[in-house]
Amino acid sequence: MMNDKNSQKIVDIIQNWARKHSIWVLAYGTGCGAIEIPPTMTSRYDAERLGVRGAATPRQADVLLITGYLTVKTMKRVIRVYEQMQDPKYVIGFGSCTINGGMYYDSYNTIKVLDKYLPVDVYINGCMPRPEAVLSGFAQLQKRIAEGRANGAQQYKDNLEWYRANQKKIIPNWIMPEYNW
Amino acid sequence: MREKATTLYIGPQHPGITGNMMVKVQVEGDTIVKARTEVGYLHRAFEKLQERRNWLQSFTLLCRFCVPEPDPVEESYARAVELLEGREVPERAKYIRVLMLELARIGSYMLWYGGQNGSLGLYTMGQWSVGDRNYILDLFEELTGGRVYHMYIWPGGVRRDLPEGFAEKVLRTMDYLEKRLKDYDDLMFDNTIFQKRTQGVGIISKEKAVEWGVVGPVLRGSGIKSDIRIDDPYEVYDKLDFIVPTHEGGDIWSRALVRRQEIRQSIRIIRQVIEQMPSGEYYNRIPNPHKWALPKGDAYARTEATRGEVGMYIVSDGGVHPRRIHFRGAAYVHGITLLEDLLIGENVADISAIMNSLGTCPPEIER
Amino acid sequence: MKEIKENIIQRIKANFADAAEKNDFKDNRVDFSVKKETIPSILFYLKDEMGFIHLSHISCVDWLEEGELEVVFIVWSPKDKIKVFVRTRLDRDNPVMDNVDMIWRQANTYEREMREMFGVQFTGLVAPEEFLLEDWQGPPPFRRDFDTAAYAEKTFWHRPGREDAQDVRETIANRDGEEIPDFAKKYSR
Repeated sequence: MMNDKNSQKIVDIIQNWARKHSIWVLAYGTGCGAIEIPPTMTSRYDAERLGVRGAATPRQADVLLITGYLTVKTMKRVIRVYEQMQDPKYVIGFGSCTINGGMYYDSYNTIKVLDKYLPVDVYINGCMPRPEAVLSGFAQLQKRIAEGRANGAQQYKDNLEWYRANQKKIIPNWIMPEYNW
Repeated sequence: MREKATTLYIGPQHPGITGNMMVKVQVEGDTIVKARTEVGYLHRAFEKLQERRNWLQSFTLLCRFCVPEPDPVEESYARAVELLEGREVPERAKYIRVLMLELARIGSYMLWYGGQNGSLGLYTMGQWSVGDRNYILDLFEELTGGRVYHMYIWPGGVRRDLPEGFAEKVLRTMDYLEKRLKDYDDLMFDNTIFQKRTQGVGIISKEKAVEWGVVGPVLRGSGIKSDIRIDDPYEVYDKLDFIVPTHEGGDIWSRALVRRQEIRQSIRIIRQVIEQMPSGEYYNRIPNPHKWALPKGDAYARTEATRGEVGMYIVSDGGVHPRRIHFRGAAYVHGITLLEDLLIGENVADISAIMNSLGTCPPEIER
Repeated sequence: MKEIKENIIQRIKANFADAAEKNDFKDNRVDFSVKKETIPSILFYLKDEMGFIHLSHISCVDWLEEGELEVVFIVWSPKDKIKVFVRTRLDRDNPVMDNVDMIWRQANTYEREMREMFGVQFTGLVAPEEFLLEDWQGPPPFRRDFDTAAYAEKTFWHRPGREDAQDVRETIANRDGEEIPDFAKKYSR
């Protein structure tokens, strides 16, 4: 039902309209994709006109942008960061390596499919995706938010056990607080 | 009264950290008494994956070693392979390589401008310099097809010739940047905030710089004239006229001045390269990459990047696949041990500025 | 350049009897192979007496077939503009050698990495055990008998579709019933 646009209540429509115009991205460059974020944010591409801007801490951020490959060591921190973020929250997978491992498909230290570990709302492909692609990814996310389809956080809550099992499979030493929001 | 020591974790998710790494510091009040870096967040095991790739496939992975400036890495690899194999490089390719490397150097410094000033809270500079960097990336895009990763300088030469009218575009961009550099100076070096926050902060003395094996602009900022382009010249740097700026202070300010002057020198080099560039072949063709075996032996080639000496050590067992490719990142040296030592006695607020001035680049530490 | 190389070889040979030299390189390079016990003293000698003050690189190579690990030190002399390779072989089953981070401070980082990635033990190395990896339970991963592809296959999820080199354009066209434009066909296999 969540996916049906007609089922949105009027309050949801207003809420989503507001949310889509203020996407704050967590400043966490997890991989090499972080290099195309400064050009996206600065004068030429100027993502701020879409309401996209950086946020310093997870609690203020709406979007977790996974910029590229995630090593197992970073994965642990990313999960922690994602769980600290407050609703509404979205995940964008950035670059080929989040989609299918990219050129690191046989590496022993990087994860290959991001959406098995975190709920991904939008993927941006490419190695490296250009700033235009990043902007288009954000526009896609805005569209999904407006339609009420960007419900990754809800999905994570509903399927927490499945996600947890996947996460624990690659992170041997699991010391994390419980996820309770 | 002595304050109680508190442990702070700066990173890995922290806007001031250059890339994805962590510095664990113990502070008393605002002063750091102990620092310990933790790296490994970006370890993709390139050097393991190369066991499964052939010599040309490895090359595609290699440029991912350092994100802000991948060309010196390609250059080091290409030269190491050529050294081992004894492959000749056409003269024109050498000039094109130098052009590429110097453009990459300017591009990387433009990004550094943004990072260094952003770490001190001066965000206008980033808007200007990162925006202007796009003009260099446009040149790269026209030449190689990629903005960030070029995969252009490969064993045997370069991948394609300069397109028509490219040289004029480069010169036009250089003229523009030269004009802009003055604006940057007004905004950055004349800025009292920048002066106060960088002068006398993060001092590396001459003796310490030598002892800890510091390289690149950081070493030159400590007053030692050392540059691989001069000391161990590669490609055509021995035919070009440029100077290596040094400053005595050893603080962030001196390192910033060194970098600032190097941009000017790079522009000079680019103009000379375009003037002197000969015509002719640009690529000495390699055989079918799937059957391309290098002779048994090893080679080490190094290149001056914006962070210092970038080296590539390759070992061949006579086969199609490399036995070992080991990359020496410039930040490998001063990003870990030196940083831990340097931060002691500094303020917490200066961590980010110091890291930016050292040019710490975690992906090349962890690879 | 030739005289400098000869001079270096002579001085090293006079002081270190077990050093086997190699000097047939096209670039400015001289190569010495020594026993692992000699490593600290030859490096001290190179640095303090001969002006090789800059440590460029330390690398480790796994020669699985010969059952040995090779450790290579590359040092550079800014005065003579020459680089010297010092190499030694360690037993692969029990790779132990002396720590050299009192000669060059940055050697500490290299040794930490070698300890983790190749399992080389350095006597007297003071550094945290973990460097790049966290909670790693397998063998030292850079050794050649560790199969990274099999490990990745076993440990991580893989998205299907990478098994063969598929033509993505055709896949998309089949799925959506979309026509492949002529300019794209040119590049299709």
